[in-house]
Amino acid sequence: MNIFWREIKTYRGSTLFWTSIFCLIVIVFFMMYSSFSNDVTGLQKTLLHFPVAVRSAFNISMQSFFTIYGYFAYLITFVSLAGAFQAMNLGLGMLAKEDGGKTVDFLLTKPISRNKVITSKLIATVILLILTNIVFSAVSLALAAVFSTTSLNSTTFLLIAATLFMIQIFFLSLGLLLSVVLPKIKSIIAVSLPTVFTFFAIGAFGAIIGDENIRYINPFKYYDSNFIINNKTYDLKFVVVEAILVVAFIWISYLLYSKKDIQAIS
Amino acid sequence: MNIIETNKLTKYYGKSLGILDVNLSIKKGEIFGFIGPNGAGKSTTIRILMGLIGATGGSATIFGKDIKHFGPEIKEEIGYMPSEVFYYDDMKVIDLLRYSGSFYKKDPKVIESRIKELSDYMDLDLRKKIDDLSYGNKKKVNIIQGLLHEPKLIILDEPTGGLDPLMQQKFFDLLKVENQKGATILFSSHILSEVQKLCDRVAIIKGGSIIRVVKISSLADSIYKRIKLETVKPIDKKKFANLKGMGGFTMNGNSINFLFRGQINDVTKIIAGLNLKNMLVEEPDLEEIFMHYYKKRQ
Repeated sequence: MNIFWREIKTYRGSTLFWTSIFCLIVIVFFMMYSSFSNDVTGLQKTLLHFPVAVRSAFNISMQSFFTIYGYFAYLITFVSLAGAFQAMNLGLGMLAKEDGGKTVDFLLTKPISRNKVITSKLIATVILLILTNIVFSAVSLALAAVFSTTSLNSTTFLLIAATLFMIQIFFLSLGLLLSVVLPKIKSIIAVSLPTVFTFFAIGAFGAIIGDENIRYINPFKYYDSNFIINNKTYDLKFVVVEAILVVAFIWISYLLYSKKDIQAIS
Repeated sequence: MNIIETNKLTKYYGKSLGILDVNLSIKKGEIFGFIGPNGAGKSTTIRILMGLIGATGGSATIFGKDIKHFGPEIKEEIGYMPSEVFYYDDMKVIDLLRYSGSFYKKDPKVIESRIKELSDYMDLDLRKKIDDLSYGNKKKVNIIQGLLHEPKLIILDEPTGGLDPLMQQKFFDLLKVENQKGATILFSSHILSEVQKLCDRVAIIKGGSIIRVVKISSLADSIYKRIKLETVKPIDKKKFANLKGMGGFTMNGNSINFLFRGQINDVTKIIAGLNLKNMLVEEPDLEEIFMHYYKKRQ
């Protein structure tokens, strides 16, 4: 439990920061929603002038964009981009911060197994992400209830909101894996920034060329908002794909870290 | 039972050698020195024992338990002090020490009173932030975190750098107290006088291999004495020609200098016939002994 609480304490500030950012994005977007929904026809015309590729790259669906769900799904694109950073920084930081701060000798010479170190840290970071998402979803739902012009289906809405969490779990486990695989991480942001942007770019690129298969390697595109709006559930095959990847990332991390040589400080 | 026992412990970093076939057996209650120049393999051996790196060959047991399979269990009873100290900068000294203590099964109250006792003794302010501490004070934190759970085995990897002589003496006294209470100590250093002061036995390591394991006391007995004489007038060299057990004789004007191991009376008989200005009989320090062993090997 000591490592768990240590981790929570270390990241409570940054968690608060990210949660505020997400809430701020939702607040700003929903403030614009009322003026936006007043002139749907005008906007629809403008958007039709945009090439399809641009629209899909920005996750704008003509079918649903003008509903509260579609609008929310659109803003989730930005939130999940930021959310991916939060999660990846957490994932990378778990072990890399001990390594970079040179506290790893201290920690690993205590009577605790390396597996337990990862487990404690993993639970702590997942809980931080859950807390972030609870606050984000609650704030979003409350705002949507205030600004929505039609009746609101909270299941659909919360499923869209939870795509943030699903994407974050992917990047958390990817971050953990990279922190074990990469030899020496000097700066966490230097790893997370290009990684997240690469995935985001692949997603946008895939949407532009319209290749469906590219979706499988891109967590940003696993949870399509139109599918959620129409079916009130996630596309199961992508849930399975993500689950397999996440389990694999974490499993490999445990395996490699238990055998990793912790080099002396030089 | 030996507290630490290694059997042909070997470590390669890729292709470069860390240590080769290191065999150590350290008995209960012993203060065991581990000495050699930087890069000789002291830290590598200790890091394997502490489970920070994995051996590429051989095996080791601590408290009779294999280090590969009983790491956490073994570490419950080990106090480890690394040479370089790095802690969570945002923590206060007391937070760090409590955090350290929280890993052990010991009663928190006992640990709390140990922290108090040790920090008073080492003269360390518990309320300061680690970040604001001087290097020497960080070292004190290092010492306390290594001892606060009253470990049965204390492993020190060059722990004294940055401590002033007074504090170093206090630290050694502390180690001696722990030793009298039953703790076994493995003390690694490249400073010979430290080891000489503290240890019962010492392993000399170079180039990744143990050259010799010797008793400090037997070293002093069996070893040469250095004898320096200053005469009023230059004397005839031949007077010393038949002295048994003499080596390294030099004469420079009125000064005579040689190493001697044998019947001390043989020397005094010769010296008695000289007109002396000054005379010194010195025990060579470990440094000289050390060089002696190194040279022998080469």
